[in-house]
Amino acid sequence: MATQTTYQSTPEEAAYEQRAAESALWIGSRFLIGIGAFVYASLAFAYFYLRSANNLDFWRPNHVTAPTALGAAIFALTAATFACIAYGQYRFRRGEAADLAVAGWTAVLLGALAIGLQIYELTRLPFYPGSSGYASCFVGWGAINIAGLVLSVYWIETLLARGHRVKHEVAGDGGLVRSGLPVARLFRANLEGATYVMGFMTLASLFFWVFFYLV
Amino acid sequence: MSTPRRSNDLRTMVTIWLILSAVLDPVYFWVIGPHMPPGTMTDSAAGQQFDINVLVVTALPVVLAVWVYMAYAVINWRASKIPADTPVFVADPKRATRIQVAWILVTAVTVMWAFGFGVYELVVPAGAGGGEGPNPVWTPTSKNILPIQVIGQQWLWTYRYPTFGGFETTQLMIPNNTEIAFHVTSLDVIHDFWAYQLGVKADANPQEDNVAFTHTAQVGRFTVRCDELCGIWHGAMYDYGHIVPKATFYKWATSTEAKLASQTKLLPPFAWIYTPDANGADGGYYPNNVVPYNKTELYSSQHVRITQYGAKNS
Amino acid sequence: MASTIDTPIAGRHVSTRPAGGLGLNRYQNVFTAFVVAAGGYLLGHYIGNVIGSGYVSVQGGGQNDVAIVLALTFGALGWLLGIGALNYPLAKLVGASPEYPPTEGGWMRYFRFSLDHKVVGMQYVIATLLFLFTGGLLAMAIRTELLNPTIHVLGPGTYIAVVGEHGTIMMMMASSLVIGPLGNWLVPLMIGSRRMAFPRVEAFSLWLFTAGYMVILTALPMGGFPTGWTGYAPLQTQAGGGMDSYLVGFAIIGTGMVLAGFNLAATIVTCRAPGMTWGRLPIFVWSVLATAALLVFATPTLICAGLFGILDRTAQTAFYVNEHGGSSFLWENLFWFFGHPEVYIMALPGFGMVGEMLPVFTGKQLFGYKVGAAGMIGVALLSFFVWQHHLFQSGINPDMRPLFMLTTELISIPTGFIFLVGLGTLWKARMRMEPPMLFCLALYFNFLIGGITGVFLSDVPVNVTVHGSFFVLAHFHYTIMGGLVFAFFGGLYYWLPKMTGKTLNRKLSLAHFWVMFIFFNLTFFPLLIVGLLGQPRRVFEYAQRLQPLNDFASVSAYILGASFLIFIANFVWSIWIDPKPAPTNPWGSRGLEWQVPTPVPAYNFEHIPVIVSDPYLYGVPDAPPVADFGGASSPAYAAALAGDTAGDGAARSE
Repeated sequence: MATQTTYQSTPEEAAYEQRAAESALWIGSRFLIGIGAFVYASLAFAYFYLRSANNLDFWRPNHVTAPTALGAAIFALTAATFACIAYGQYRFRRGEAADLAVAGWTAVLLGALAIGLQIYELTRLPFYPGSSGYASCFVGWGAINIAGLVLSVYWIETLLARGHRVKHEVAGDGGLVRSGLPVARLFRANLEGATYVMGFMTLASLFFWVFFYLV
Repeated sequence: MSTPRRSNDLRTMVTIWLILSAVLDPVYFWVIGPHMPPGTMTDSAAGQQFDINVLVVTALPVVLAVWVYMAYAVINWRASKIPADTPVFVADPKRATRIQVAWILVTAVTVMWAFGFGVYELVVPAGAGGGEGPNPVWTPTSKNILPIQVIGQQWLWTYRYPTFGGFETTQLMIPNNTEIAFHVTSLDVIHDFWAYQLGVKADANPQEDNVAFTHTAQVGRFTVRCDELCGIWHGAMYDYGHIVPKATFYKWATSTEAKLASQTKLLPPFAWIYTPDANGADGGYYPNNVVPYNKTELYSSQHVRITQYGAKNS
Repeated sequence: MASTIDTPIAGRHVSTRPAGGLGLNRYQNVFTAFVVAAGGYLLGHYIGNVIGSGYVSVQGGGQNDVAIVLALTFGALGWLLGIGALNYPLAKLVGASPEYPPTEGGWMRYFRFSLDHKVVGMQYVIATLLFLFTGGLLAMAIRTELLNPTIHVLGPGTYIAVVGEHGTIMMMMASSLVIGPLGNWLVPLMIGSRRMAFPRVEAFSLWLFTAGYMVILTALPMGGFPTGWTGYAPLQTQAGGGMDSYLVGFAIIGTGMVLAGFNLAATIVTCRAPGMTWGRLPIFVWSVLATAALLVFATPTLICAGLFGILDRTAQTAFYVNEHGGSSFLWENLFWFFGHPEVYIMALPGFGMVGEMLPVFTGKQLFGYKVGAAGMIGVALLSFFVWQHHLFQSGINPDMRPLFMLTTELISIPTGFIFLVGLGTLWKARMRMEPPMLFCLALYFNFLIGGITGVFLSDVPVNVTVHGSFFVLAHFHYTIMGGLVFAFFGGLYYWLPKMTGKTLNRKLSLAHFWVMFIFFNLTFFPLLIVGLLGQPRRVFEYAQRLQPLNDFASVSAYILGASFLIFIANFVWSIWIDPKPAPTNPWGSRGLEWQVPTPVPAYNFEHIPVIVSDPYLYGVPDAPPVADFGGASSPAYAAALAGDTAGDGAARSE
């Protein structure tokens, strides 16, 4: 079983596989949005199903509502996270890698705050989780939102951390913004994917914010 | 060289297939078919039996076609039987496309036939004995429908007869030549009321009234089983019911109503579903909106919904 | 361009230097995983007790579901941590570059976190076989209990626990049975890639899968769960601690399924070799792609449904509690919205494998390749629109029954394509009756019965008779076991010589096939009749008159079970005791995976192959070779690489 463990890629092969890896990130982030869409659709199905069934008039007795100020804050922070990373990406494309660092870390901070507030909100609900269909769905939304935000913020954080670590490696080749080195190209593909996914998260947050707090 | 051999193969297969189908289909339909489950005790059972038989008659030639083809292929087209120098058969693309189109058309027509027939058999006998939810879409034309409530609980069936004061019993008696509406509900988990020989099956959901219709046609005993896993004694949740002549039924029902009158008074008032407030055990937690059975009720959708839950604006 | 930077691509297998990580992978294996998992379990249980012991429901019920759920979750996390699956995700937080576990290491590499898709594939083979045989033993227990209608071997409580475990384990196993072992092992080789798109995601899915296996087994000491694999609420809400194992286990397996599908779909879309156009994709890869789409889009619903169930049992929400504004119908809808695509997750790869093997053993081109691929995509799409046929008698949306009857019956049209492909390929064939071929033919025989009975079930009036009966049970065993499991074993006999480099004993293989095929049919055909005669599923007591048929099925089932012992004996004998090296291409296949040396090098291809012809040109005189492996020396090669003819979408990202 003495298998040869090394091989020599030609430059063309390396370029070919590099393109494949970037495409994989592109398509992977779209698949993530697809997965997320079905997760949120399941919750939305539960919401509308229980709302229309309204068993024993227990969908939402007395129109109980989760803390609206907290809810608005969580949504605003989620949207701000997206705004920051999107702006960071915009500046990055214009060649301002430093702007991405500032905007990106701000996004991480805001996202972490959103997660913290979402956890805090779940401890401050004016209703018992099992008191109504609305209450149940709301707790479900809390759990899913925490998971979704944690994963998105994790992605952004690891991306920025990687960017800092490899900065010197690509410095001579035009930096992260322009370097043709694989690590820089993957960084850009990752950034694009993370921004898209965060945008999707924000859309989902908007949807559920409307249906849990406003309607 | 290859053309005549091809048509010979096909002709042999088709011949075998035609003979087998022509023999087996009628044999099945007239010899085995009348004995197929679930029998003919009710119109829904008879309808299901007929439906099964029609589907078997449709499916048998399909199965035979594949089996004959495969058997023929396995017997004749194995490497050990074919000289090594025979050229490999290469499908003519045009012919292949024609075969594919024909295949799609044949399967599509078969499927649409099965669908159309299935819908007919579902709609015409008022839901074919299946659970139709609280607001049945397909209802019997008869105005004289005997409602019987079936209550599932772990691990027992009980029956209430609203037209006889709402008494509750573990005996299931139904009159012959009568349109029956089973109102199936549950007090705990999901059960499924399966009156096998009646061709009736409806899930018993808590807080739901699942209605199934059937028209009885023969007297006799039938089996009732729980058909949805409901916990460890699910397998033991069965009993028997009886279809009896009308006169016997009314005698039994009126005497049982009288015999159980004192116990019926202690029961929650008859309702289509039972919430924890039905016997006052909820401590006022639930809105008291369950309206008892109304003899003038018709099986039209909105009406049942309203009488079932009472006024929605509490 | 061949840089020194340690990207996932260039010089991947050369690098063993710790690049910012701790280099822990070399010390981690299943033993450390067990230790850390046990620690995680205890920690989770402790935290759960701290959180939940004050709850009224816990004090009143004597059962702390918070502790059970957290223990299982932390146990699974500990398993991932201990095996090393979380090393990189954690190191990434400080920006560490990827670190590659050693690819060498003899047999020990199969007990480690590995990024080589072939190692992961073999790990999946062992894991899924473990699943299969565990579930199979439970099936033997079920048939033993059903030997007699009134004398009980297990008793109702144990019986229901065994039924639930059997169903759940088999469903979990079957959803990964082909995708996991063969999908992971074969797809990169078949599309001419040196790697998976996301090898860590792939390995992660394997270790989640094994974690799920252990989690679902923890239900047994907690008394099992009384709901069967469908987990219907409110029985679910009412059940004991074993139910938590079911919910957490299914959520873990579900996550693994999403990740496995995610990786495979991304790999197929982006990693194809130049010249591997959509029209040249092997039919097995088409089936994996369709399945991966189902995994990615249907399974999140299962995870959500499980999450809601867990919340109901721990946070005391009321998703499935009718009396508090929830609905038991909600679980039924969510579960089957996943559950029906799940059925095709299990069926499609089997079709694909048969389509892959038939041309080899008939010596002919695959008939109707495009129709076959279209059939798989069609099945995958339609499977999202049929879920309520499981609920015909439930009282949910009764007016929708004709629609769901139609969609369900429509699925038999694309399924029919698969039959057309198979039967067309058999036409005037030159069949070699090797073990894989026999399994392929058996699939068509069995799946025909499974499919036709499926049409019966989709017909609402007939469904009134057979819903929830042994008829349903026999039907889906005919499709899943008769289809997928037969295809899987056919695939093992076909590909194991490549995967292991050893030749399997032909006589034992044939013996396995014939015993399995005959007694499979003798087990499940009587059960179709038993169901028609009125025996509901999951009962431990049944009508006296059905005893002869049940006993017949039980005895057949024992022999069916014994047929797998032949397989195990064959496997052990041919691979360890008396190994005979397998030729590189024993079946004379044109498949790309057979054109590489045995054992397959870690990097699969010395150079990226350029695909130059269709995959199934069997018996075609002067058929060109499948691919050009020549490397940069051939001019066509460089042109194709530069031109990127596979259209892998690279243009999009820049």
